[in-house]
Amino acid sequence: MSVILWTIIAVALVAGAIAVAAYQTRSIVPPLDLPPGETLPATPVQRLVRWALLVGLILMTAAGVVIAAVGPIQYFDDDTVRLAVTALLIASLFVLAAPSLVAGIWAARGAGVLDERDRAILARAPAGQAGAILVVLAVWMIALQETYRGEAGIPHVYLYLVFWSCLLVSLVASNVGILLGYRRS
Amino acid sequence: MPRATIRNHIRRLRFEADEMTQQALADRVGCTRQTIIVLEQGRYVPSLALALRIARTFGRTVEQVFELVEEP
Repeated sequence: MSVILWTIIAVALVAGAIAVAAYQTRSIVPPLDLPPGETLPATPVQRLVRWALLVGLILMTAAGVVIAAVGPIQYFDDDTVRLAVTALLIASLFVLAAPSLVAGIWAARGAGVLDERDRAILARAPAGQAGAILVVLAVWMIALQETYRGEAGIPHVYLYLVFWSCLLVSLVASNVGILLGYRRS
Repeated sequence: MPRATIRNHIRRLRFEADEMTQQALADRVGCTRQTIIVLEQGRYVPSLALALRIARTFGRTVEQVFELVEEP
């Protein structure tokens, strides 16, 4: 199977894990009893994380589409495409890291934007990062072994892609952890 | 050790305090309105500091606002 297909499998696995976690949360926590027509107001952190995930995932998808369209090895040899992909990846890095950075600034200022529940949720959010990175590494290992079985080596471009995928997935996991934290309490 | 849950009377106390809104209470105790909502519904147990601030806002003791219910 091609690396692209393995990437799709990895994304599906991560999405499945998030869906299971969300379902388990729903079964543990009793439903909120709100007046008809009223929804739970989002906290500033929740709004920030939702936007960061939306924009970050769009940027990551754009980078993935470019890599898939040009080819994982060919894109690295083309300076223009490589720079464009790197710019997209760096942009998604900043966007996905923004909630933690901004929340840290809010916490340091003590401006009253964050309360104790926000802080507790933010502190627990990174718990899923290690698991997400392990899933990504496992998928890369299997994909590269299957694709390059019997060959002398693996193209070095994959080191770059493995690094970026681990970095970005860990940030996505942290942001998803924040949103799940608000559902759990 | 028996399993215990913490109930509270925040919702009733808000209405007794001239129907104080959730947002007004949140502003007075320094938390978000969402935290007040999940507190009232028993989905979140506050820290001692927040519990004391809520009790002080209503002019009550912590025990009058929060209640430890031990289940057999």
